[in-house]
Amino acid sequence: MNKLLNDRTSLVLQLALNAAAERQRVTAHNVANVNTPQFKRQVVLFEEKLKQALQEPELPLARTHERHLDNIPRTLGHEVITDNSTSMRTDGNNVDIEREMVLLSMNQLHFNAVTQALNNRYSIFRYVIQEGRR
Amino acid sequence: MKMFQTMRTSASGLAAERLRLDLIASNIANISTTRTESGELYRRKTAVFAAELAKSGAGQGVRVAAIEEQQTDPRWEYDPTHPDANADGYVAYPNINLLQEMTDLITATRAYEANVTVLNAGKSMFLKALEIGRG
Repeated sequence: MNKLLNDRTSLVLQLALNAAAERQRVTAHNVANVNTPQFKRQVVLFEEKLKQALQEPELPLARTHERHLDNIPRTLGHEVITDNSTSMRTDGNNVDIEREMVLLSMNQLHFNAVTQALNNRYSIFRYVIQEGRR
Repeated sequence: MKMFQTMRTSASGLAAERLRLDLIASNIANISTTRTESGELYRRKTAVFAAELAKSGAGQGVRVAAIEEQQTDPRWEYDPTHPDANADGYVAYPNINLLQEMTDLITATRAYEANVTVLNAGKSMFLKALEIGRG
C-alpha cells in the first residue's frame, strides 16, 4: 500500500510541487522588496539538485533488502539561496522586476503542469482500483 | 512555514507601497505648508523599507523600518506679506521637488501592481492545487 501511493514518480512530483510553491513564495518576497535598498534577491534551486541526485551513480542510501528505505532520499528537495552576485541599481538592490515577472509566469505554468501530472497519476490509480470500470 | 505565507508576503508589499503612495500624496499636498502642528516647516517624508525575514532566514516580505523626514535646507522665497516671513521678508517653504515626487509615484504604483500580479498568480496556484485528486 505504501508502495502504491509513494512510488518514485509521485514522490518526485510532490517534491516538484513543493519547490514550485516555495518559488512562488520567494518571488513574492523579491517583488515585495523591489524598492528595499541593499536587498538581494532569493533563488530556489530545485531542478539542479534533482538532476545532480539523478546523475549520481549511487544514491546515498544503499538498498540490500526490500524493506530498506526507498532510494529517493526524503531530504532531496529545494534549497533557497541568496543571489549576491549582481546589483541592479545604485542602492545595491538586485531585483529585476521583468525577470521576476517572467519567472512568476514560468513557475505558474510549471505548477499547473505538475498538478496535471499528479492528477493523471492518481487517475491511473483510480482506474486500477475500479478494475477499469468507468 | 504557514500555508498562506505567499499571500502575506504580497500583502506586506502592497501595504508598504501603499504607505509610500500616502507619503507622496502628503508631500505633494504640503508642498507649500509653512506651518505644521509642531509650528515648524513641513519636511518631505520618505519611507525606509527593510526586508522581513523569518528566524529560519526565509523571506517574509517587506516592512517599513522608518518614516524619515528630509533635513535639507528649505526653499526660500521672498514674500514680505506672508505671515511666516522672517525679518528679511523671506519665507521658508518645504524643499519638495515635484518631479521627484511624480517619478516616485510612478515607481510606487508599478511596484504595487507587480505585487497584485504575484498575489493573483499565487491564488490561481492554490486553486489549481485544490483540484489534485479530483475526477
